[in-house]
Amino acid sequence: MSIKKSVNDFLTRLSGKLDGGGEKAIEKQKKKGKNTARERVEDLLLDEGTFLETDLFVEHSVKDFGMDRKELAGDGVITGYGKVRNRPVAVFAQDFTVAGGSLGRAHSKKIVKVMDIAAEAGIPLIGINDSGGARIQEGVESLCGYGEIFYRNTKLSGVVPQISVILGPCAGGAVYSPALTDFVFVVDTISNMFITGPQVIKTVLGEDITQEELGGAMTQASITGNAHFYGKSEADAFNTLKKLLSFLPANSKEAPPVSKPILPANPLGDDVIPDNRRQAYCVKEIIRGIVDASDFLEVQEHYARNMVVGFARLAGRPVGIIANQPRVLAGVLDVNASDKAARFIRFCDCFNIPLLTMVDTPGYLPGADQEHAGVIRHGAKILYAYSEASVPKMTIIMRKAYGGAYIAMCSRHLGATFVASWPCGEIAVMGPEGAANIIFRKEIAAADDPEACRQEKISEYEEKFANPYVAAKKGYIDTIIRSSETRDTLIKVLSTVRQSRTGHPHGNIPL
Amino acid sequence: MKNKLDKLVIDGTEYVTEVPENSIKPYEGQQDPSEIKAFIPGTIIDIKVSEGDLIEQGTVLLLLDAMKMHNEICSGKRGLIGRIHVSPGDMVQKDQLLMNIIINK
Repeated sequence: MSIKKSVNDFLTRLSGKLDGGGEKAIEKQKKKGKNTARERVEDLLLDEGTFLETDLFVEHSVKDFGMDRKELAGDGVITGYGKVRNRPVAVFAQDFTVAGGSLGRAHSKKIVKVMDIAAEAGIPLIGINDSGGARIQEGVESLCGYGEIFYRNTKLSGVVPQISVILGPCAGGAVYSPALTDFVFVVDTISNMFITGPQVIKTVLGEDITQEELGGAMTQASITGNAHFYGKSEADAFNTLKKLLSFLPANSKEAPPVSKPILPANPLGDDVIPDNRRQAYCVKEIIRGIVDASDFLEVQEHYARNMVVGFARLAGRPVGIIANQPRVLAGVLDVNASDKAARFIRFCDCFNIPLLTMVDTPGYLPGADQEHAGVIRHGAKILYAYSEASVPKMTIIMRKAYGGAYIAMCSRHLGATFVASWPCGEIAVMGPEGAANIIFRKEIAAADDPEACRQEKISEYEEKFANPYVAAKKGYIDTIIRSSETRDTLIKVLSTVRQSRTGHPHGNIPL
Repeated sequence: MKNKLDKLVIDGTEYVTEVPENSIKPYEGQQDPSEIKAFIPGTIIDIKVSEGDLIEQGTVLLLLDAMKMHNEICSGKRGLIGRIHVSPGDMVQKDQLLMNIIINK
């Protein structure tokens, strides 16, 4: 064959592969309001012209059930690497237009290859899921494929950031690859995740539930906690993903990228929380008053809202923020909040991102349901995660830091690098009301006017213990600062302490 | 998104805060062993006892077809079979009362 002929032959073959499942399938995909796999990778995710595709010519070799007559472009998945805001990433995108994006042996081998590239190059892995599930015709070969992907998700955990974007169905065993990754994105009306779908539930259990209610985007973002980011559209999700990447290093050996420092839009004054400790306020407003450009990227915004976690910058350096949210459930710790915080802390520790903990919590949520749901073993995860973390750990006590929750929220005792309290901080074994009721129980009961006596004792306890000075005297907090000094103080700490973790490396197990 | 503020008491202090739906579930108490209920929705295949039978703890009372399995439903206590509320072939919902047991105290 002449060179010219071979080039033409190549171009013909190429064009046959590039449009995936063909016109009709693409039209169907579009009707569902979805982009094609190629549009997602080349237009929405990667910088223009940076995509280098691998394994476009891979074909399956299945002979059963008429599969030998079926040619599946790229075997239903697009793989390769490219750049996001000029930083390299590895990527795979399942192509629903080709055999419903079903996962067969060749399909999974392509994903495995790109995962190995991510490991070798030390670059983030981004997976876009849009698949009907296992390719039934391939039987156990398909299961082998899932297993090999799960194995690599686990081995890559804590080594390079792994991000999943659910842009279609992701059901049965397929859900476990995203669940093993660090961050899962879902998109309104497009994403669906479940182990058993509505039809199976109807047949087996006789229960009616829609796909959306069972495992739609908001369900995953707010009820199950499987998703970390909820997008209104595919473009919205990819924009957030790019922003997320901007906080992360390419791998666990690198420091996170540093940007130009920008002052917060509304810096904190000295009067930022309500006088009354019982009154709620939104901790996110406090965070925005401290961080660069008041820019806070919240993670799991809709799940366990009594705990707020997310990324921001201080003088250009990324930090992971963990904060009690007095606005919701008074900022208590509970089962879900513990899991949410612990996993976020461990992610940050994997990738050298310093931690900033903002404390205002009355303690743990009481109740039989919490105890029976295992608040002991879930709560222990926060203690473990903070104690294990060897990145710089900074703690600001804003108001209430009571009892076990005080210890858990990155106290000095769990190895905090720096702990400061605002002047209104209350570091005590419990709130004044509860403490007075216990300590002065007999006196209150014996008093002529028990209620007056109770109030008096509460004031007495408050005066003595509901302040930061008892802890400061012992050196358990390093300093007391006005809230207006918070940002400058934290920047001083960050510029002084070691820049990366010193502990042993670990993965980011789903918690 | 401004949600309604409620009251939440922690250690004697009352906080004004948002209390999301289902965030605090009341304790439902232990199940009454005199009431045999379906632990899962399904179909009754066979009833192994009759009203008035004396049964031991662990006696198989009926078979419930659910999750592709014939599940044996056993008595948690020794006693007499009281009323039986279902027949073979009946579809039952989760927590539906299937039979009563009269437990000798």
